Amino acid sequence: MLIEFELIEKARSGDDAAFNLVVKAYRKRILGTIARLIGRPEDVEDVGQEVFLRLYYSLDQLRAAEVFEPWLYRLTVNAAYDYLRRQKRRHESRMSDLSEQQVMMADASAGGKQQTEELRRTKVREMVHSLLDKVSEEDRILLMMKEVEGLSLKELEQIYKVNENALKVRLFRARQRVLKAFEAGEV
Amino acid sequence: MDRMDQDRVGDKLDPLWTAYREACPDVEPGAHFMPQLWQRIEAQRSAVASSWFRLWAEVWLVATVTLAIVMGAILIPRFQSNPPAYLASYVDVLAAADSANDSVLLPSGETE
Repeated sequence: MLIEFELIEKARSGDDAAFNLVVKAYRKRILGTIARLIGRPEDVEDVGQEVFLRLYYSLDQLRAAEVFEPWLYRLTVNAAYDYLRRQKRRHESRMSDLSEQQVMMADASAGGKQQTEELRRTKVREMVHSLLDKVSEEDRILLMMKEVEGLSLKELEQIYKVNENALKVRLFRARQRVLKAFEAGEV
Repeated sequence: MDRMDQDRVGDKLDPLWTAYREACPDVEPGAHFMPQLWQRIEAQRSAVASSWFRLWAEVWLVATVTLAIVMGAILIPRFQSNPPAYLASYVDVLAAADSANDSVLLPSGETE
């Protein structure tokens, strides 16, 4: 936990200053998670604000301060999923965005080494996004939360409200689909 | 599912996830993040308040119309069964007064 339970309790009872502190403590982490989930840097803040807006209006439904983090992740997953469904992102548009980003980074970085490193990162992002296009939006988010965000099955159970075995099966199938695409060189 | 299958999948993809995590660090929010968030919270708050006000106004409107209909249904038949004295027109009242005055004789030589 990044904050004290007491602060969550205060925010839950309607203390706006406490809520402000909660947002400040979690915003960087949540924005990072959203960036990795949706893969569009220009919309990250918008989706992030949507997460905290939902948090503000649903905090009174939180059972206990101890389950705050899974609750916040659940809101993040839902907002990212809503965004992905809304956007129905096309591979082509993302590729062009990444190319633009690549160009911007190349312009910005003066040193050749830094430029190479950024190009490598861009390639990795591009590759993972292409691989994740092979699975549904739900599985994409599940895989990200498990493999990239590093959440445990217990934590995922709390977020998805489904039992561990169902999650394992779903994760296994999603991983296999991604691996198949990876091995076939479909990226 | 087979444990070895899982390991096989994990072994091949794990380096990729790690590289992706490194390629996408946490995002530093912009200067406008907090002010914009509070603006959205306030906008939603006033939208909720105005929808409550609208609901409240609609409830009062329905209650008023219902009361008017009920009062009308009770009072109109009551008025119809006992018509009040002032239902007669002004001309009728004058005519009735004239006929009452006919029996009164004016003293001779006096004019009205």
